Amino acid sequence: MLKNLFNFLVFPGFLFTATLGLVASWIDRKVTARVQWRVGPPWYQPFIDMVKLSIKEITIPKNSSKIMFLISPLLGLSAVILASTFIWLANIELGATGFTGDIIVVLYLLTLPAIALILGASSTGNPLASVGVSREIKLILAYELPFIIILCVPIIKSSGLLRLQDLIQYQTVNGAILSNLSGLLAFLVAIFCMQAKLGLVPFDAGEAETEIMAGTYIEYSGILLAILKLTKFMMMVALPLFLITVFWAGFSIWKYVVLLVIIVLIRNTNPRVRIDQAVRFFWGKMTALALIAVFLAILGK
Amino acid sequence: MQTLLQPILISALAGSFIFLIPKRFRRIIETFSLLVALYLFVASIKIFAQSPINEKFLYVDNLSRFIVLGIGFFGCLVTLYSVRFMASYKEYRSYYSYIIWTIGGSILTAVSNNIVVFLAGWGFLGLTLYLLINIAGPRSAGTSKKTFIIIGGSDALMIMGFGIVWLIAGSLNLSDIKIAIDNSLSFWAFLLIAIGAFAKAGAMPFHTWIPDTAEDAPITVTAFLPASLDKLLGIYLLARLVLNVFILDSFTYALLMVVGAVTIVAAVMMALIQHDFKRLLGYHAVSQVGYMVLGLGTGNIIGIAGGLFHMINHAIYKCCLFLSGGSVEYKTKTSDLDSLGGLAKTMPMTFFTTLIASFAISGVPPFNGFFSKWMVYQGLVERGRSGGTLWVFCIIAAMFGSGLTLASFIKLIHAMFLGKAKDETRPTPATRNEVSWSMWLPALILATLCIIFGVFAYIIPLKYFIVPALPEGLTFIGTWPSLKATLFLIIGLGVGLLIYVAGNIRGIRETSPYIGGEEIEGDMRLSGTEFYDTIKNISILKSIYAKAERKVFDIYDQGKRLVFFFIRIFQYLHNGVLPTYLVWCLLGMIVFLFAIVR
Repeated sequence: MLKNLFNFLVFPGFLFTATLGLVASWIDRKVTARVQWRVGPPWYQPFIDMVKLSIKEITIPKNSSKIMFLISPLLGLSAVILASTFIWLANIELGATGFTGDIIVVLYLLTLPAIALILGASSTGNPLASVGVSREIKLILAYELPFIIILCVPIIKSSGLLRLQDLIQYQTVNGAILSNLSGLLAFLVAIFCMQAKLGLVPFDAGEAETEIMAGTYIEYSGILLAILKLTKFMMMVALPLFLITVFWAGFSIWKYVVLLVIIVLIRNTNPRVRIDQAVRFFWGKMTALALIAVFLAILGK
Repeated sequence: MQTLLQPILISALAGSFIFLIPKRFRRIIETFSLLVALYLFVASIKIFAQSPINEKFLYVDNLSRFIVLGIGFFGCLVTLYSVRFMASYKEYRSYYSYIIWTIGGSILTAVSNNIVVFLAGWGFLGLTLYLLINIAGPRSAGTSKKTFIIIGGSDALMIMGFGIVWLIAGSLNLSDIKIAIDNSLSFWAFLLIAIGAFAKAGAMPFHTWIPDTAEDAPITVTAFLPASLDKLLGIYLLARLVLNVFILDSFTYALLMVVGAVTIVAAVMMALIQHDFKRLLGYHAVSQVGYMVLGLGTGNIIGIAGGLFHMINHAIYKCCLFLSGGSVEYKTKTSDLDSLGGLAKTMPMTFFTTLIASFAISGVPPFNGFFSKWMVYQGLVERGRSGGTLWVFCIIAAMFGSGLTLASFIKLIHAMFLGKAKDETRPTPATRNEVSWSMWLPALILATLCIIFGVFAYIIPLKYFIVPALPEGLTFIGTWPSLKATLFLIIGLGVGLLIYVAGNIRGIRETSPYIGGEEIEGDMRLSGTEFYDTIKNISILKSIYAKAERKVFDIYDQGKRLVFFFIRIFQYLHNGVLPTYLVWCLLGMIVFLFAIVR
C-alpha cells in the first residue's frame, strides 16, 4: 500500500509525470519556436508559468455551479495521474500485479480529463464555453471510434491479451505490433487520434483561441487554470506512452521523443479544421484505415 | 413454500383491498401501500436469505433469488417516491393497487418453475403495465395500446415457443428441461421464447414501446417497469434459457451477439438527437439492454456474469435517472430539454444523483456501469480467443456505444442542470428549492448503490449475487483494482485540493461571464440540444434519422401498415351492396361445383 502510494504520488505517478509533462511542453514550445524562426523560451519557463498562475487571482462566473466549477479540474488531474501510474508501472515493473490496469481501463481513464473539462466548462453558464463544450464532445465522439478500432489490433495480434504488461511481454518475444503491416497502419491512425485527444492543432476547435477565446477554458483563471494546463501536459506524457506500450514494445526515451516531435510538427504545419471537417475526417478516412488494419490483423498480416 | 406463497398472496389481497378504501382517504391509501411494499421488500430479503427451494411449481435457485430481491427493493423505493409524485394524479388509488399487484406478479414470475405458472405471471405483468400506462389519462391511450399489442403479441409467440419446448422435452418444469439446439425445431423454440424476453427487456426490434412509454406514462411507471423490473425479468428469462434450459450452438450465440450490438448502437444514436429528456432516457433503456444480451451471447462465464451484473446495474442507475428526472419534471412542469437549464443550483441533490447515475450509465470508472461493461468486453475478448471475427465488431460497437452514451448524457446534464434556462422557465422564488425528502431519498439510495456496486464490485455484488448464480470458473482477463483505484482517485483529488490551498484560493472574486467584453443578453444561450446537429447532418445519417422519425424501423407501425393493407382489401369487398355479395356467392358456388364435378 505504501509502495503504491509512493508510486502514485512521486514516481512514476504525479511528480514524475508532471515534471516530464512540463519538460515536454518546453520541448513543444522550443520546437515550435525553431519552426517559426524564433529562439524560444529557456527550459524552466513552464515551471515559472505554473508558479505565476498559482499566485494570480481566481475569478468565478456568477450563476455558475460553483462546486462543479471548482472540482472538475481536480477530477481530470486525478484521473490522468492514475492512468499514467498504471501505464508506467506496466513498463517498469513487468511482474507487477494488483495495482495495474488493462487496455480498456486505461482507455476509459484517459477519457476522464476531457469529461471533467467539459463538465467544468458547462457549469460556467458562458455561451462561448457552451460552444466549446459542444465541439469538444463531438471531437471525442469523432476520434473515439477509430481509436477503439485500432486498439483491437494488438488484442487480435496477441490473441486476446488485455493487461499492459502482458502485451509488452508478448512484444518483447514476438516483436513489436508496429512491425507488422496492420500494426503500422493502426499506429498511424493512433497518432492522429492522439493529436485530437490532446486537443492540439489541427483538432483544437474546442478551445480555438482566436474564435471562441479558448472555449472550454474561457472562465478558468489562476490556480484552476494551472491545474487544467498541468493535466494537459501530463496527457502529453501519458498518451504517447500508452501508444508506445501497446504498439511499440514498451518505453524508451527516444521513442517518446520521436512521438513528441511528430505531435509538434503536425501542430505547426496545419491549420485548424472545422468541427464537422474533423468529424468527417475521423469517421471517414481514419475509420476506414482502422478497419483495414483490423482486417489485416485478422488475416494475420 | 410458505415464504414464497405468502408475499404473492398478500400482494394480491392488498392490491384488491386498496380498491375498497374510499378515495378521499388519500393518506391512508398511501401509508397502506407503503407498508405493503415494505413488507414485500422484507419478504424478498427473506427469500433471498433462504437456501434454494425446489417445490413442484415454485423454485428458487441462486439466479432467481437475487432477482426477487431486486423486485422487492425497487418496488419499495418507487412506492416511496410515488407518495409525493402521484399526489397530483386523479387515479392514484388504482395506481397503488396496480403497483402492489405488479410486485407480487413479478415475484411469482421469478420464482415459478412450472411453465404455465410462469406464463400466467408474465402475462399478468403485461396487463398491469397496460393499466399503469393508462393512469396518465387519455393522452397515453395510444401508447398503452401499442405497448399492450407488442408485449401481448410477443407473449403469444413465447407461448408457442414453450409449446414446442413441451413437445420436445415432455415436461413442464423448467428445472427438468435441457434441450440442445441441434435441429430447427429446438432453434425455433429458443427464438420464439427469446422474442418474448426481448420484447419485455426492450431489445431491438421489439423496443419501440419503451421510448413512447417513457414519454407518455407517469415517470414512476417508467422507472418501475421498463427501466427496472422488465429488465430484470426479461434478462432473467434469457439467462435462464442460456444457462439452464437450452444448450446453445454457435449460431444462436452469434445471433444474440448481433442483436445486442445492433441494439446498443442504433438506440443510442436515436437518444443522441432527442429533445425530451424522458424520451432520451427511454432510448437509453433500450440501448443498455444491448450490453446484457451481448454479455449473455458471449457464452462464457465472464461474459454472462457481466451481462447479469449489467442488468442489476442498469436497473439501479436507470431507475435513479428516471426518478431524478421525475423530480425535475415535478418542479418545472416540463420535460423539454430546450427550455430547461441551470437547475444545479436550485436542486443540488437531484443534480448529484443524476450526475452519479449518468457517470454510471456512461461507463465512467469507478462506477458500477463501467465495471459490468468492462466484464462484457472481457467476455467478448475471451470469445475471440477461440477464433471468429464477430467479436471484434461487437466490441467496437459496445465501446463506441458507451462513448455515444456519454455524449448524450453530457447533453442532458448541460441542458437540464448546467446551462442557462429559457427566460420564461427560469425558476421563480417559489420553485427555487429542492424536492421533498421522500422524492430525493430513493434517488440518493440508488446513486449510493451505483458507487458501492462499482467500488466494491468484487466484494459485494459479484460475491453475493452473480458468482453463486453461475457455474464455477469466473476468471478475469484484465485487471481493474476497483477499490484501490478509487482510493487513489480520491487521494488524487486531495492532492489537487492541496494545490488549491497552496495557491491563491482566498482571492476568489465573482465576475459575470466573459464573452469578449460584450454584455450577455437573455437569449444568448446554448441549451445543449443542438450539440449534435453537425452529426445529424452527415449525409448518410441524415437519411437514416429522417426514416427513423417517420417510424420506418418501428415494428409496430410496419405491422399496423400491413394489417391496414389487408383491412382495406376486405373493406373494398364489404361494400354493403347485396347484388355484389350474391355475385360473389354465385362465383364461389361455380368454382366449388367445378372442383367437385371435375
